[in-house]
Amino acid sequence: MSVALGIDLGTTNSAAAIATPTGVEFILGPRGERVHPSVVAFPNSGGVVVGGDAKRYRLSEPQHVIHSAKRFIGQNFRAPMVQLAMTGVRYQIVEGANQQPMVVVRDRQLTMPEISSNVLLHLKRCAERQLGTQIKDAVITVPANFTDGQRQATKEAGRLAGLDVMRLINEPTAAALAYGFGREKQQIICVYDFGGGTFDVSILRLDGEVFEVLASEGDFFLGGDDLDRAIAEVLAAECNRVLRIDPRPHPALMMKLMMGAEAIKCHLSQEDEAEGEIDGLDLPGASKPGQLPFQITRKQFEELTSGYINRTIEVTRQVMVAAGVDVRAVSEVLCVGGSTRIPFVRQRLAEMFRKPPNTALNPDEVVSQGAAIQAGSLLGTLHGGTGMGARDAVATAGHSMLGGGGNVVLPSHQAKRPVLMDVNPATLAIHTAGGFTERLLDKNAPIPIERTRVFSTSRDNQTRVEIDCCRGEQRRYADNEPLGTLVLDDLPPKPRGELKIEVSFRVDADGILHVRASDQTSGQQQEAHLQVIGAPTVGEQG
Amino acid sequence: MKSKAELLAWAKNILAKGPTAPPHELLQLRPGADATAASDAFMKLARVAHPDLHRNSLTETEFDQVVLAYSRVAGAYQELRTARNRPHTTQPPFGAPPSPPSPPSNAAVPPAGPSSMNNKALVYFRKAELALNQGELRNAILQLKMAIAADPQAAFLRAALAEVEAELARMKPQ
Repeated sequence: MSVALGIDLGTTNSAAAIATPTGVEFILGPRGERVHPSVVAFPNSGGVVVGGDAKRYRLSEPQHVIHSAKRFIGQNFRAPMVQLAMTGVRYQIVEGANQQPMVVVRDRQLTMPEISSNVLLHLKRCAERQLGTQIKDAVITVPANFTDGQRQATKEAGRLAGLDVMRLINEPTAAALAYGFGREKQQIICVYDFGGGTFDVSILRLDGEVFEVLASEGDFFLGGDDLDRAIAEVLAAECNRVLRIDPRPHPALMMKLMMGAEAIKCHLSQEDEAEGEIDGLDLPGASKPGQLPFQITRKQFEELTSGYINRTIEVTRQVMVAAGVDVRAVSEVLCVGGSTRIPFVRQRLAEMFRKPPNTALNPDEVVSQGAAIQAGSLLGTLHGGTGMGARDAVATAGHSMLGGGGNVVLPSHQAKRPVLMDVNPATLAIHTAGGFTERLLDKNAPIPIERTRVFSTSRDNQTRVEIDCCRGEQRRYADNEPLGTLVLDDLPPKPRGELKIEVSFRVDADGILHVRASDQTSGQQQEAHLQVIGAPTVGEQG
Repeated sequence: MKSKAELLAWAKNILAKGPTAPPHELLQLRPGADATAASDAFMKLARVAHPDLHRNSLTETEFDQVVLAYSRVAGAYQELRTARNRPHTTQPPFGAPPSPPSPPSNAAVPPAGPSSMNNKALVYFRKAELALNQGELRNAILQLKMAIAADPQAAFLRAALAEVEAELARMKPQ
């Protein structure tokens, strides 16, 4: 009996689950925890430590604790976003081959997929111990607005962890699947996914077993971390005022304040006021650790963070327009991601949709549940009971129904397989002379998709054609994000306009772009494939 | 499309039409069919021919054929659903701009201000404003630089950046 793992590889936390005939079973960490911090530590004492244990090294040797790798994976080192994210971490990042960001740990340089593969390997090992069977196949979730480079790098991380990544699915889509699988209903839902590092929102039409994504939008650099930082800034000002020390140039002090800020944020989701003191502050020039008293009300917190929350509501409005759906047509608003525990977020959603959002699902677990259902579906081992169980998931530590020697009796009835129709996250186009773009694939088009267009040369006897590919909605090429350039060389000399060059853009079910160009005129069809900047190079891929 | 044989025959038929076949043919519609007809046809097809439904019942080659056929029909669906926005018969060559909407050279200069930048830049600009309100000057500078990267033409952004950088320079000596 083969088992496939559904993995939610998050910015701050990860979770994994498998579909069983009666529900979804979560993979537990060494202490029985369902949520695994996406943290990898390379401590001075040697070895690699992953998960909750790795977090312990945050204060003693922060330069060896790699967190938030998802903010860098598959990105171009030179991108402003990456440069900005680098200001928020205490480990060193340098530029590697193909403009990939590389983590420096002592004398070693590691790629971001290598870092993330440690988290995946940890989950794989936990699952194997829990289920008593080898695990090979997996479905990994990614933010809906992940680019090709980020998707390729995530797949690469899976491969490095010894997993066969059957599919990458978008996080909001996974949540919708966990909610809707087995319900056989017709409705339009909104999935509002506000996690630790990213924000995504998708509108889906559910029709029986068909899950059609109508539109998806997001902000890759907006998450709970930003809210923590807003509180930490206030604490820093307090520190300056009360203790007469500006903590901002002292990274260890700021880290401590960030940790305090996170605790205050979580407290304010339950209570109207947070009051206390942050102790153990290593103040520069002081002989013993100092204390910082604080008092923050929920109202103050809401004022501090309203800019970020308003931005998520603004993006939600945008996606409704893109989907062509009115708020009254949305019958359910699913809250996904830890940041949806904030009462102000729920209040704003209720105002917008004129009904309270659905908070019955566990916002930290629902994405991995959906991934597990999709994994079971792709493997062909999905059963009717899984859907009901997904909503009342029970974790049964140690004694899985699927493990324990193989004498498992499965219910005879096969579930109807869900059909996930996800969308292309961004417009993909090529550069035409004059500085404009020609769109090949539209944002929110269904995937997998392929589109081919025939182009021609603009000069007589042109023997070389360069095809610049980009991602973005703008009409001018320079305003979009460049993906890479495809070159066709040694073309037969012809008068302009006579040479026929076919350019194919294909986005596969993982949301990964494949570009092919071929010269149709000469009998010899030469082809070129695109290497996306920032992605693992072709030789590294499996 | 109930049987495996029917599915494979459909895929073969689609692939035989080639990658540049007219979209309505791939969706088995009449020429001139509208977006609604295209949507209905595509959804009907997805229910039975979506590759995920057949992953385990086909050989690798057969599966690849079904994926490619489905992908081409999806491309045709995209084409028909947005057909009204642009003509798909013109094939601009490399080297000639596709009907550039270039304004006359004496066109009015757009008003300077946040409303004149593109959406992506506006998002960064808002983030910069947020950072400024919280006194994070460096963060604001980065966000503004990202806004300029998103919209290099917006003079307003450059002015804002210069202003914030001057502010930071004033603070440093203290």
